[in-house]
Amino acid sequence: MTHRREFVMGVKAGLPVCIGFIPIAIAYAVSAIHSGLTPGQTVTMSVIVFAGASQMAAVNMLSAGAGAAAVIFATFILNLRHFIMSTCVMKRLEKAPLMARLGLSPFVTDESFALFTSSEALPGSPYAFLGLVAATYLPWVLGTVAGCFMFSLLPPLVSDSLGVALPALFISLIVPGVRKSARLFAMVVLTAALNTALSAVISGSWAVIASTLLGALAGVFIVGEEEGAAA
Amino acid sequence: MSTYLIIAGMAVVTLLPRLIPAALIDRLPMSKRVERFLRLIPYTAMTALIFPGVVKVDPERPLAGILGAAAAVVVSLIRPKPIYAIVGAVLAAMAVIAFL
Repeated sequence: MTHRREFVMGVKAGLPVCIGFIPIAIAYAVSAIHSGLTPGQTVTMSVIVFAGASQMAAVNMLSAGAGAAAVIFATFILNLRHFIMSTCVMKRLEKAPLMARLGLSPFVTDESFALFTSSEALPGSPYAFLGLVAATYLPWVLGTVAGCFMFSLLPPLVSDSLGVALPALFISLIVPGVRKSARLFAMVVLTAALNTALSAVISGSWAVIASTLLGALAGVFIVGEEEGAAA
Repeated sequence: MSTYLIIAGMAVVTLLPRLIPAALIDRLPMSKRVERFLRLIPYTAMTALIFPGVVKVDPERPLAGILGAAAAVVVSLIRPKPIYAIVGAVLAAMAVIAFL
């Protein structure tokens, strides 16, 4: 397969993410501007941080008067889950040159990880991942720019209903594997129950990390040898 | 501290967890069991990102997220391409928000 074709496959696979990213990028930018950041600062954050939930949290913290250390520490905790996701992405890119892996790593998000590791539909090639990056990073940055020039949020009917786009994407990536394997389904149900229980007692970002790891650990014992994703 | 320095700090602490596995992945020997563990992570990570968070998509109407997710499951069983599940879920959530 040519590199160009792999890239195009990545772009096509990543395009549905736009539906989820653009409204979140707009919501982030509108609240950033509202809380006193300049358009330059707002866009810079999307360009060099590229992690939606933590950007939104940072804006809320800054407008509430939080200090630099608190904001940076919260960002670190919120994005620590990407360590696990990057490990899975890089496992699939193990044969790629070190420079390609390092260059692609800043673009590992929940969504690029999910699309790249959950099926064999995309080749395990750096060009395919680059295609995913193009289809997710550019809408994120352009959505942020657009949001800087909007005076109000999208109406709740639109923004809240578009909020189910990314969960729906993840569901569609889980379902094909799970319908083939009752054991995989059991692991998914266990993980959902674990995360629901844990997020009642510890903060959401730690709950996600703990239930991801514990769910997969249980899965090693529950699920058979051949089942599982592409990574 | 200037806001730009805070943003730079955020960028560094976000980059490190993404970068370190890229640098080390081919230097760490992995047993078959660890590889199986990693193959299961996509399922558990996505599950943890969906549940229970999807319920709070519209904080005042938990039903929007619940029915949106249910629609995504049903559509995915019929059509595996993500775009169908996304459109189905958004329409279901929109109906709940508009009419309930």
